[in-house]
Amino acid sequence: VSALPVRVMPLRDGRSLFVNDAGGFFASGYATLERLSDGDLSIEDTNFLRSRGHLIAEDDALGAAAYARGIAERLAFAGPLDYLILVPTLRCNLACSYCQVSRVSEKSSGFDWTDETLAAVLGVIDGLTVDRVKIEFQGGEPTLRPDLIRAVIERCSRFSRCEFVVCTNLQRLDAEILSIFDRPDVFISTSLDGNAATHGRHRTGSETRTGAFLDNLALVTSRYGPSKVSALPTIDPGAPPEIDDLINAYVEHGFESIFLRPINFQGFARKRHANAREQDGEWRSYYERFVRRLIKRNWSDRSRVLEETYLSVGLRRVFRPGADRHVDLRNPNAMGHDYIVVDHDGTVYPTDEARMLARSGVIDLSIGTVLDGWAGETRDLLTRHATNQFDPACQRCAWQPFCGRDLVDDLARYGRIDLPRHETAFCRRHMHLFDLIFDLIYSDDPAVRYSLARWLRLPGTPASFGEVLQ
Amino acid sequence: MIPLVRPAAADAEAPYVARLRSAANDLGADDALLIEEDAVGTAFAGRNGVVAIDGLASSDLDGDVVLVQPLTARVERLLRAGSSHNTLLVTERCDQLCVMCSQPPKKTHVDRFDLLEQACLLATPGALIGVSGGEPTLYKDRLLSMLEHVLRERDDLQFHVLSNGQHFEDEDVARLSDPVYRRVSWGIPIYATDPDLHDLIVGKAGAFALLEASFARLTKARARVELRTVVLNGNVEALPDLARYVAARLRFVEAWSIMQLEHIGFARGRWREQFVDHRRHFAPIAAALDLAALHGVRAQLFNFPRCTVPDAYRRYAIASISDWKRKYAGACGGCRERQACSGFFEWHPDEEAELMVRPL
Repeated sequence: VSALPVRVMPLRDGRSLFVNDAGGFFASGYATLERLSDGDLSIEDTNFLRSRGHLIAEDDALGAAAYARGIAERLAFAGPLDYLILVPTLRCNLACSYCQVSRVSEKSSGFDWTDETLAAVLGVIDGLTVDRVKIEFQGGEPTLRPDLIRAVIERCSRFSRCEFVVCTNLQRLDAEILSIFDRPDVFISTSLDGNAATHGRHRTGSETRTGAFLDNLALVTSRYGPSKVSALPTIDPGAPPEIDDLINAYVEHGFESIFLRPINFQGFARKRHANAREQDGEWRSYYERFVRRLIKRNWSDRSRVLEETYLSVGLRRVFRPGADRHVDLRNPNAMGHDYIVVDHDGTVYPTDEARMLARSGVIDLSIGTVLDGWAGETRDLLTRHATNQFDPACQRCAWQPFCGRDLVDDLARYGRIDLPRHETAFCRRHMHLFDLIFDLIYSDDPAVRYSLARWLRLPGTPASFGEVLQ
Repeated sequence: MIPLVRPAAADAEAPYVARLRSAANDLGADDALLIEEDAVGTAFAGRNGVVAIDGLASSDLDGDVVLVQPLTARVERLLRAGSSHNTLLVTERCDQLCVMCSQPPKKTHVDRFDLLEQACLLATPGALIGVSGGEPTLYKDRLLSMLEHVLRERDDLQFHVLSNGQHFEDEDVARLSDPVYRRVSWGIPIYATDPDLHDLIVGKAGAFALLEASFARLTKARARVELRTVVLNGNVEALPDLARYVAARLRFVEAWSIMQLEHIGFARGRWREQFVDHRRHFAPIAAALDLAALHGVRAQLFNFPRCTVPDAYRRYAIASISDWKRKYAGACGGCRERQACSGFFEWHPDEEAELMVRPL
C-alpha cells in the first residue's frame, strides 16, 4: 500500500482537514490523525481512503489513473484567443477617487482609437479561430464612442455566439446607446457602491449626478430585467458601508450577486487611498460578516438567493476542478493567450490591472500592440511565472489546488514577485477566503448548508458537503 | 410501437443490406427503388432483386437501411431514416447475468458484422448509431475494426456502444486513443461500490475488479464513457456512496445515467423484489444527484416519467426511451411536459402506468 501525499490544515473547529494534490479532502479528529501518522489503519479507514482517492494500493490501476487525471484537471488550460477586453477611449465623464486607470477628461483629444487602431482590432477579430467570443468594452467610458462599439459588434456577426459586455458608469443614456443595449447579446456592467450617499462620496461627487445614475440604472433594469445588468461595488475598507444598507441597495435594483471588492491598489487609488496597499484584519472581518449576513437573509427570505460573487467562485473551485472561467484564480494563468486587453492607443496588455500599472508609471507590462502582435518575450516571461505550482510556500499549502497566482497584483503592491507568498496581500486574502469556505463546508447549521447549496446551484441541499473520517 | 421487423419475400438467397428509396434521384449501388405499393405492403427492386415488405407504406420506409433475410422471410429495419434511436444488435451472448437484464443472453452467436458494417456506411448524414448486445466486446477485435472502418469512411457518424466493461486490456489503450474514438462513447454499468454487491447484481464473481481495471484503461485512452446505474432494491441505499466514488475515481465520465427498471426480461419476474417506487423513496436518488452536481459530474435520470420526480430534480429526468418502444399513459395526453418526458416502455403494465402519472 502506498499512501498519497496529503497536506493538513487545521479547521476552525479544531479538527484537521486533509487535502490531496487533486483537491480531494476529508476532515478528521485527533485520534484519526494519530492513526494516519502511525500507519495504524483499520479496514474501514483503508476502504474510505481508497474509494475517495487519498490512497492508492499497488494493484489499484484505476486509483492511480484517477489521481493523475485529477491533478491534470486542476491545471487550467488556455485555449485560443476568444475574449477581448477593449478600451476604445480613455476619456470619461466622471472622476472617481479610486479610478483604477488614470482616466482623462471627457474633452481631451488623442485618447480614442485612431482609424488605424480600429482597423487592427477588426483584423484581430477577423483572425479569431473560435466560433464563440466574449468582448468587454472598458474605459474610460466606452459609451462616449458608441460608433466604435457598434463597429466591433457588427464585425462579429460571423460567430455562432457572442457576448458583449459594456462596462459603463450609466451616467448618460441616449437613443443610440440604448439601441446597442437593446441587442440580446449585449450585457451591461456598472458600478454601484451602495446607497446614494455612499455612491456619491467617491464616484459622482454631486447629488445631481448620483440622481442621473440611479435613474439610468432603474431605466435599464426595468427595460431589460436584472439578468442583463450586473453591478459591482468598490469598497473603501477604511469606511465600509453598513452591511444591510449595501445589500438593500442591490436588492432594490433586483441584483442578487454582489462582488465585494476592496479598492484596487492601482491607478489613482495609489495616491488617494494609500492604505489600500494592505487589506487588514478589519477588512477580512467585514467580508466575513457580510457573507454570514447573506446566509441569514437567504435563510429567512427564501424568495431570493443573495451571494457574494468571489466566495461562489472559490466554492466552485473547491468542488469542481476545471471551474476556471474566473481567470483571476485559474492556475496556471497563461498571459496574453486566450484573453487580452487592447488599450486606447492600441497597446496590448495581458490583464486590465497590467494596463493600469503601466498608466500609473509603476511598470510597463505591455506585451505588444494590436497592430504588430503580442506573442513575444514579455508575454512568455509573465506566463512562465503565472502559476502557484512551483512556489515553495504554495507547495506546502492545503489550498494550493483551489488557489491561483496574481503576478500583476504582487507587482502593483510590492514591485516584485518573489516575496514569500504569505507576506503578500493576495495570499492573506485567499488564505482567509478558503479558511472561511471550509468553515462553512463543515458547518452543521442548516442555514449555512442551504446557502452553500444554492450558491453551488444544487437541486437540493445535501446533508453534508465534506466527509469526516471518524 | 414502431415495428422493427416485418415479414417479407425476396428474390435473393443470401441476406443482404439495402437502402429503400421511393424516388429515383441520386441512387446508390445499395439502394432499392420502390416499384409497387398497395394495401398489403410495398415492393422495392435493387441489385439483389425484388423484396416485398408486408404492412408498411413506402412513406414509412423511405431512406431506411434494412437487412433482408430471405431464409426467415423477413426484413429488419436496422437504421430507420427518421429516427435518432437506431441500435444494432451485434451478439446475444454475454458473460454477465444481471438480475434485471432486459434482454437475457443466448448461448449462440450469429455473426452479422459484415452486414452491419455495410449498413452503417449507408446511414443518414450525421447519425448517431447505437451498438448493443449481449456483450459487444466479446467480439472486441471485430467490433473495433467495424467502428474504425465506418468512422474512417464517414467522418459525420458517431457510435454509442453498450458494454459491460469487462474486456478492455492494456493493449487496447493505444488503439482506443486513436482520434476516431472521439466519436465513440461507451455506455458502461456500475451498480455499487461494494465489489460483492456489484458482483451479485451482475451475476459474475470478480466482475467489479475487472470493471475497475477496464475503467483505468479507458481513463488512459481518454475514452468517452457514459456510466449507467439501474436502481434496484438491492442498491438504492448505496447510491449516495456510489456518487462520491464516481466524483473521486470516475471523474472522466461524460455522464452518469441513473436508470429506472425496465419491465421486461428478468426484471418482469423479479418486479416486486427489485422495483423501487421512487415516488415514495426518492431520498437516496436525490442525495446521489446532489452529490454529483456538487462535484460537477453530469447526472441524468433515465426512464423516470417527469411527473413522478420532485420539482427540484425534474430537469434531470430526460426523454430517454427510444421512439419505437415508448408509450404514454392515457392521462399523459394533456400533459405540457410530454415532449420532454421519457414516458413508459411499451411493455410497462398499462394499469400501473395509469396509476403512476399525474399530468403536469
